[in-house]
Amino acid sequence: MSTAVLNDPAEKRSATTAGGPAPIHRKRRDPMAVGMAIFGVLVFCFLFLPILVIFIYSFNTGRLLAAWEGFGFDAYINAAGNQVIRGSVMTSLQAALGTAVLSTILGTLGGLALARARKKAKWAAILTGLLALTLVTPEIVDAISILPWFVSLGTDFGITPINNGMVRLVVAHTVMSIAVVTFIVRARMQGTDMALEEAAADLYATPWNRFWQITLPIAAPGILAGALMSFTLSLDNTIVSSFVQVPGNTPWPVYIFSSLRVSLRPEIAAVSTIMLLLTLVALAVVALVLRRMGESSTDIAKTIAGT
Amino acid sequence: MSKFSRKDVGAAALSFPSWAYLVFFFIIPVGLVLWYSFGYKPDLFTAHSNSILSFDRYIEALDPTFLSTFINTLQIAGLGTLICLLIGIPFAYWMAVKVPVKWRGLLVALVLVPFWTNFLVRTLGWQIMLAPEGFVSDALQNLGVIGGPIEILYTRAAVQLGVVYNYLPLMILPLFVSLDRAGASLREASRDLGGNRWRTMFHITLPLAAPGIISGCLLVFIPLMGDYITASVLGGAQGNMVGQLVANQFNSAQNWALGSAMAVMLMVFILLTVAIVGAIYLIIRAILRFNRRVLIEEPAS
Repeated sequence: MSTAVLNDPAEKRSATTAGGPAPIHRKRRDPMAVGMAIFGVLVFCFLFLPILVIFIYSFNTGRLLAAWEGFGFDAYINAAGNQVIRGSVMTSLQAALGTAVLSTILGTLGGLALARARKKAKWAAILTGLLALTLVTPEIVDAISILPWFVSLGTDFGITPINNGMVRLVVAHTVMSIAVVTFIVRARMQGTDMALEEAAADLYATPWNRFWQITLPIAAPGILAGALMSFTLSLDNTIVSSFVQVPGNTPWPVYIFSSLRVSLRPEIAAVSTIMLLLTLVALAVVALVLRRMGESSTDIAKTIAGT
Repeated sequence: MSKFSRKDVGAAALSFPSWAYLVFFFIIPVGLVLWYSFGYKPDLFTAHSNSILSFDRYIEALDPTFLSTFINTLQIAGLGTLICLLIGIPFAYWMAVKVPVKWRGLLVALVLVPFWTNFLVRTLGWQIMLAPEGFVSDALQNLGVIGGPIEILYTRAAVQLGVVYNYLPLMILPLFVSLDRAGASLREASRDLGGNRWRTMFHITLPLAAPGIISGCLLVFIPLMGDYITASVLGGAQGNMVGQLVANQFNSAQNWALGSAMAVMLMVFILLTVAIVGAIYLIIRAILRFNRRVLIEEPAS
């Protein structure tokens, strides 16, 4: 009892002076930190709860997603055997791949250009503004503006490829992800100085070699993150896809959205679970590649988040 | 001098594909929508005509239905942004400051997982949970917390919950990045100089996190204003959003002029919001800088 009383002021003092270099003094965690940790864990629970629910309900053997009947793999088997579901997932994956390729090419060129622009170059300022404008444009505005344009391009101007559902999806999705890739690549290139490229030029490297051996390796983490980002943005897109899609090329989110009005079946949860797992594997691979390139974990997360 | 300009021309040329693409697939279509908004719907079977130009569609769009939906959307978006911010600030602070460095990457990755899960599917997860016959409802009834089945699905509260959930990662990430950049050394210096927890918070951490707060709020608010997916999954008939009205004009009503006018107004509203938020940020920053200046007093003679 008496020792406790004696110890108390000393401990209090050490708690208030903590923050210095010696972490040993922090043995007693202050209530604020504990409270924040609890809050943090609660937020994580909130963030993961619906995903967990979808994961669990993917094993529902009932006919309706929300009405639990029993545990089984029926939904996975049914989904694999369902032609429409398989087709829409394939459509989504192809469109996402196409979008990733197209917007990564455009975004990488644009990002490199912006990173090299003179500080007061007018074209760079306008391009940045234009890209920012695509970012703040609500999806529904993109959707309603591009559909009539596609229709008139395809019929009035006779550019028939635009009538193809896949082309439409890729073109429309790229409009929305080009800015993300451009800004990620620009951020990446602005962090590095141009001395390496200049050195290569001084050593008589051709512009082509300079690009492949110096610029591209430096930009690679940003390009990779941008590609991943545009892939997922395309995979996730519902509103624009539902406008521009052509029957026979219905992407997966549009399929879900339309079955919302009819009936939601556990197959949707099963396919979503598989797609989430695939996305996580892809993320892990990208994180691993970035780590090989010598990035720190926080940097990797930031790069992937596109911030 | 000429070397510099040649370099700049090279950079400009590199950006040509982006330019061409954006002009062709963004500027022209959006310009067309602006053009359509001055037209009209000639008859039941024609979607659009621009033979007579007028501002009538804007007046037509401002009818009570549109206005009430717009205000509804604005309230949901505004409140959603505020709740996201209130959850996001302490959470991002915890991640960026309190959590040991080696865990940070993992936690950011975990925040990203919902972000990488399909938007619709996440919302469906909530639909299952909030259903009156769902397991949450059953559990709460068995525990005696509530008398009857929960009645939250297809209400405004459900929509609000859904949007907060769906957009929270977009708030957390920029907040985390800005708080992480703000740096431990400045906070430590403040503490060493006698600043207590709150002083450090309000004089060091929050001002440094301001860019993150601004971009987080915009990242949540802007897409939220146009989103109608969350609302139609969780709100049913109650969850009417502006985006839905615009979509209806193009999908079912086939009145392109009216839909375009609504879309233009939505777009103008969002651009105004961005401009106002940007201006407020610049003003606050200027005031803070002015107040924060250290004045070295002249020695008394």
